[in-house]
Amino acid sequence: MTVAVHFLFLKDDRSATPVFSHGHLYVLQRSGCGKATSSPAENYQLARRRTLQVVVSSLLTECGFESAEKATVESLTEMIQSYISEVGRCAKAYCEHTARITPTLSDAVVTLNEMGFNVDTLPGYAKRSQRMVITAPPVTNAPVIPKALIAGQKRTHPSHIPSHFPEFPDPHTYIKTPTFREPVSDYQVVREKAASQRRDVERALTRFMAKTGETQSLFKDDVTAFPLIAERPSSIPYLSALLPSELELQTLEETDSSEQDDQTDSENTPVNNLNDDPGADKENSVLLAGGVVPSVKVSEENMIDNPYLRPVKKPKVRRKK
Amino acid sequence: MHEVKMNRKKDKGFESPRAVIPQCVNLLCHVYSHTTHQVVCINNINFQRKSVIGFVELTIFPTVVNLNRIKLNSKQCRIYRVRVNDLEAPFIYNDPTLEVCHHESKQRNLNYFSSAYTAAVSAVDPDAGHGELVIKVPSELWKQGDEMNVLKVYIEFSLDQPKGGLHFVVPDVEGSMAERGAHVFSFGYQNSTRFWFPCVDSYSELCTWKLEFTVDASMVAVSCGDLVETVYTHDMRKKTFHYVLPIPTAASNISLSVGPFEILVDPYMHEVTHFCLPQLLPLLKHSMSYLHEIFEFYEEILTCRYPYSCFKTVFVDEAYVQVSSYASMSIFSTNLLHSAMIIDQTPLTRQCLAQALAQQFFGCFISRMSWADEWVLKGISGYIYGLYLKKTFGVNQYRHWIKEELDKMVEYELKMGGVLLHPTFGGGKDKDNPTPHLHFSIKHPHTLSWKYYKMFQCKAHLVMRLIENRISMEFMLQVFNKLLSLASTASSQKYQSHMWSQMLVSTHSFLKSISNVSGKDIGPLIKQWVDQSAVVKFFGSFAFNRKRNVLELEIRQDYTSSGTQKYVGPIKVTVQELDGSFNHTLQIEENSLKHDIPCHSKSRRNKKKKIPLMNGEEVDMDLSAMDADSPLLWIRIDPDMSILRKVEFEQADFMWQYQLRYERDVVAQEESILALEKFPTPASRLALTDILEQDQCFYKVRQGACFCLAKIANSMMSTWTGPPAMKSLFTRMFCCKSCPNIVKTNTFISFQSYFLQKTMPVAMAQLRDIQNLCPKDVLNFILDLIKYNDNRKNKFSDNYYRAELIDALTNSLTPAISISNEVRTVDNLNGDVRLILEEITRSLNMEKLLPSYRNTITVSCLRAIRMLQKNGHIPSDPSLFKSYAEYGHFVDVRVAALEAVVDYTRVDRSSVELQWLLNMVQNDPAHYIRHKILSMLGKNPPFTKAAESPLCNEALVDQLWKLMNSGTSHDWRLRCDAVNLYYTLFGLTRPSCLPLPELGLVLNLKEKKAVLNPTIKPEQGLDTTEMTGNTMGVHIPVMGFTSSFNTVEEDEIDMESPHDSQAFIHHHLNILERPSTPGQHPVKHPARIILLSDNLVLFFSRTRCTSTVDQAVLSLPVTPLPSSFGKESTSSSKHSGDHHHHHHHHEHKKKKKKKHKHKHKHKHESKDKERDSHAFSNSPASGRSVRSPSMSD
Repeated sequence: MTVAVHFLFLKDDRSATPVFSHGHLYVLQRSGCGKATSSPAENYQLARRRTLQVVVSSLLTECGFESAEKATVESLTEMIQSYISEVGRCAKAYCEHTARITPTLSDAVVTLNEMGFNVDTLPGYAKRSQRMVITAPPVTNAPVIPKALIAGQKRTHPSHIPSHFPEFPDPHTYIKTPTFREPVSDYQVVREKAASQRRDVERALTRFMAKTGETQSLFKDDVTAFPLIAERPSSIPYLSALLPSELELQTLEETDSSEQDDQTDSENTPVNNLNDDPGADKENSVLLAGGVVPSVKVSEENMIDNPYLRPVKKPKVRRKK
Repeated sequence: MHEVKMNRKKDKGFESPRAVIPQCVNLLCHVYSHTTHQVVCINNINFQRKSVIGFVELTIFPTVVNLNRIKLNSKQCRIYRVRVNDLEAPFIYNDPTLEVCHHESKQRNLNYFSSAYTAAVSAVDPDAGHGELVIKVPSELWKQGDEMNVLKVYIEFSLDQPKGGLHFVVPDVEGSMAERGAHVFSFGYQNSTRFWFPCVDSYSELCTWKLEFTVDASMVAVSCGDLVETVYTHDMRKKTFHYVLPIPTAASNISLSVGPFEILVDPYMHEVTHFCLPQLLPLLKHSMSYLHEIFEFYEEILTCRYPYSCFKTVFVDEAYVQVSSYASMSIFSTNLLHSAMIIDQTPLTRQCLAQALAQQFFGCFISRMSWADEWVLKGISGYIYGLYLKKTFGVNQYRHWIKEELDKMVEYELKMGGVLLHPTFGGGKDKDNPTPHLHFSIKHPHTLSWKYYKMFQCKAHLVMRLIENRISMEFMLQVFNKLLSLASTASSQKYQSHMWSQMLVSTHSFLKSISNVSGKDIGPLIKQWVDQSAVVKFFGSFAFNRKRNVLELEIRQDYTSSGTQKYVGPIKVTVQELDGSFNHTLQIEENSLKHDIPCHSKSRRNKKKKIPLMNGEEVDMDLSAMDADSPLLWIRIDPDMSILRKVEFEQADFMWQYQLRYERDVVAQEESILALEKFPTPASRLALTDILEQDQCFYKVRQGACFCLAKIANSMMSTWTGPPAMKSLFTRMFCCKSCPNIVKTNTFISFQSYFLQKTMPVAMAQLRDIQNLCPKDVLNFILDLIKYNDNRKNKFSDNYYRAELIDALTNSLTPAISISNEVRTVDNLNGDVRLILEEITRSLNMEKLLPSYRNTITVSCLRAIRMLQKNGHIPSDPSLFKSYAEYGHFVDVRVAALEAVVDYTRVDRSSVELQWLLNMVQNDPAHYIRHKILSMLGKNPPFTKAAESPLCNEALVDQLWKLMNSGTSHDWRLRCDAVNLYYTLFGLTRPSCLPLPELGLVLNLKEKKAVLNPTIKPEQGLDTTEMTGNTMGVHIPVMGFTSSFNTVEEDEIDMESPHDSQAFIHHHLNILERPSTPGQHPVKHPARIILLSDNLVLFFSRTRCTSTVDQAVLSLPVTPLPSSFGKESTSSSKHSGDHHHHHHHHEHKKKKKKKHKHKHKHKHESKDKERDSHAFSNSPASGRSVRSPSMSD
């Protein structure tokens, strides 16, 4: 609070012109509107606002100000209103958090603490000597909440829901209302689209790669026309050339899974039934997806007598030593 | 010892107890020691340094008393010590094949090289008891000879960066050798084991083996035989693999591969183990899932178990060949592995496996007696492989394959001259050349051109098929079974090594088995196709004689052109008439050309009736096309391909069309497709279209029909109606019903359709419109195929299909229309080409991000880019291809790029690129690539001997000469490739681009021989003397002769005056002396001997030659060299042109000589002074003097 006032002072020192803040404009608009329509809700709010202004003014007086520009008062009013709203909102949230609907004192205290306000200073402040008494805002009727527009027929409860349960909400809140056009299902167009989309992606991707990396060119006059991504020798060229790419593996997994089951079943020999091996690594899953023969696992070494699977022997101890 | 070896005559036997007659029925009788057991122990394999250290121990049984020398084969090994029975033994290591012709020799003709090379190979031929390594048995052991004690020969050796025999693949990445996937494997063509350990490197020397390999603990050593145990070394960082091979095996069938292999035990056969490089295990599992069926097939037809107790397959990178078989293991190229998504590679890989396995039975288990018997092994293994093809891929595929092989072989034989399966080299005169038409000798496998060897294998299995036709398959298989069971009985005789010869097959024993089993005489067949080279060429035509109702068939033969022979005997002719198909067997005799064949049916009858076909089927035919007077539908000559022949048969177009539509044999269909190319008519079009649409038709026939249809459409351009050929067909078959311009999403469920879908666009792209451009329709169609290609829902990869679509784009290219000789720029790029280029660029770039299997798309793109360059659409530039050709790319990509560079070299006559290629031949780490470059250069040569080219210069001649002379000594195949290329570029004789020899006289000492030995009459006529053993030529370039044709005249003279040769030589030696310019050289060397012979040596020694001459002798190639004299002179005589008058009127030789002398003198004075001095000062050492007083005596 003090800081805000101080800020105000600074502002005042610098320029004599009134400071227009957002809140000020807002108030103006509001008041303008209020006069024009003067609905009960409007009146209710204006009364409270005025009380707040009185509070601000009395506080200023209390602090020793003799006069204040209207705009300043409006700003401070806006600030205090926000502050109080925030306290209320938070207190409400705390209370709802503990499954209650009415905030209690402790909710407010927690909120204030949370907002960095030392609650212990509050009683002292309340009992200060020079405080001014502010009259309560004039009693106005609380505004009537306008009735929501009823859209459609509300559903009645089905038989299994007791009638004391709340009513169904308006149908528009749960009924699906498509907001887009039916997708084109014409085969030709779909194919066309898929093709051009893929081509665009590919072109963009290759162009990007070509732009960002080294290129080779087919033309001497214009090296940017038809750029070729420069070849890069690989140390083990056969790997990329022989192993299926990620994309192809995906395709393979997507395509009929029924077939692979058949194949693996038929190719399982009694000795090598190991499809349920949990430790199957990625390569094995690829393999099984491809529907090829089962592999030989460590667990089966005992069953298969192959010299390459036998454990390596320890060297014999030399007799000399 | 060196010189003795060079000058020795073959039949004198030198000191070698093993060396006797090279061609003998049973080698064991003539080779005086026999290895029974060999231990090979490799202690250390260093991948970093690429070196190997180890020892071998051979157990040798002397078969004669006083065995004092042992000869073994060993190349490039460094030998540290040799011990015989624990006694240190002296040894000599001499490898004459390292440098075939002495480096000082300036001789550059191929005949000379070939004979020198053959001689060098013969000099170390283990079958003849020779070897590079000669070990002197310590004298202490000589006495034991009486007792015939066993000798144990222990040899310590090492190999450092071997260039042949063992290949190290060490990828340049981070990590330990195992993590890097470094591996090493043995390789080679024929006997190549000597490259990596000392042995008797012969297919006929069998012994049992103990093999030990100590390798890093993370590696696996795979070798022949049973793995007995694997033991850690004491430091636990290495393991030793102990192998025992109890079945007697030739050293040449021993192999090794070491690497961090992933191990897969075959789930169906636990004694079979597969090995592949890290990360490839899933592929290995899939690719090998089929092997057990091949095993079962062979075991069943041969009624014999697989002879070894285990089998190993190893897949390695940078393989020398796709498949190589060794005892109980085969080494394959890793590129054969594939996943389940790949269609095209699957049959190829299975075929490779089947080939490897067939060779396990015949080639590894059963070995050959001598090189001349190789055809039996290759024939049988190829034949049973064919049976496997028939069973697995069907009769259509089998017959198609037979036709393909036959056509390939016939084409080769007609072009290059015959392929001889069973060469016999007459007794002592082992220089009788049975194949004078070839530029290489077929005496040894190592001198053969690779292509020839391929065709040799091809012919071998075709001949086996002919034998089967004669004696029935049942008997054939009985013969094989007999060979195998004899061999397995022999192999189990552990200590009776003399029995082991049963494991060797020879032509003789094979034929004997056949006659025993079948009781049939196949002598004429063998004589015709095995003992004799060449094929038969038939021309057939016919006329129908309506009055006699007889078909008059005329079958002519061409047996005069190269590669052809005369056929006499039966020939089958099948005639399809209206009443059915009838076989006739005609006798081809000496002079009968015409054969009358009575027809069964009268000409056309009115009532419609089904026509019976050969296979019993009855079909309705629309007979409106046929000749109303003749009942003949079609005629086929030798339909079963039971003669190795080419048939050119003439019949009317409608007959070919009927044959295509209704003959059920795929061979007949393919023949008719080929023939229909010449009949561009609507009827042909219809017949081809019908075939294309017919599902039951063999897919390869349909593929063939596509290309034929494209050709026909182009010929019919002006009258063609309707949409471009095949377009509507393709649309109907492969496009969506609702939107015919969009191709269906790929499924590839029917492989037949898949292959057709791949082929049709490629064929369509060959269509041309009146402007000779690819029709716009077709191009857009293909571009749409690429655009709408959708493989997302396919379980198969579409990489081959996409690659073929790129090929289709390539096919659609036509030469650019260029206004002037302007530079190709982006701006003046034709619109269509721009679209094509766009696709190619995109595809090639996408390959970088998502590489396709075997990079098929990159390969196609590179070809397309080259085609764009060639057609002048984009600037011709080899740099792109050169970068793709570098080491580090996938081998298929490299080959495609190299092919483009080779093509560029030819088109642009670029010496830079040629040098670059030759450089790669010398330095590339991959042996296959080196071989491929040379063979591609041979196929698409930068220039040929017929044409002038700026590329053809002396430096190139020298470079290639060096390459084949010494640069390729580590690889038999590569050396022969180099020889082939040299032949293609320069021919057999002295390359025309060489500067005229400063000393142009060629001195023939043939008549010298006559003087020394008057009983031998010199041959008349130059052509017959070529390559014969008795003809020894001394080519002495004589200063002052400006061109080689002068030498021709000399030749002619001396040929006609053998009795006067003494005078002749005298005269020439005088000439030789004359031009020597005093003071130019400290020792006056007026002439150089370029070629010497033992005859000459004899001559020199008789005339008490001086030491200078001896030196001259020493500097020459190791063994006696036959002269290539005749051919050179005949061919050069063609060039003699304006000097022909000399030939016509040499009335008197003395006069002639004078004339010569005069001329020679004159020329010398006028022209050649500088050149002479230059030559001498450049190579003083080469100027060996023949000047000796004794000679002019």
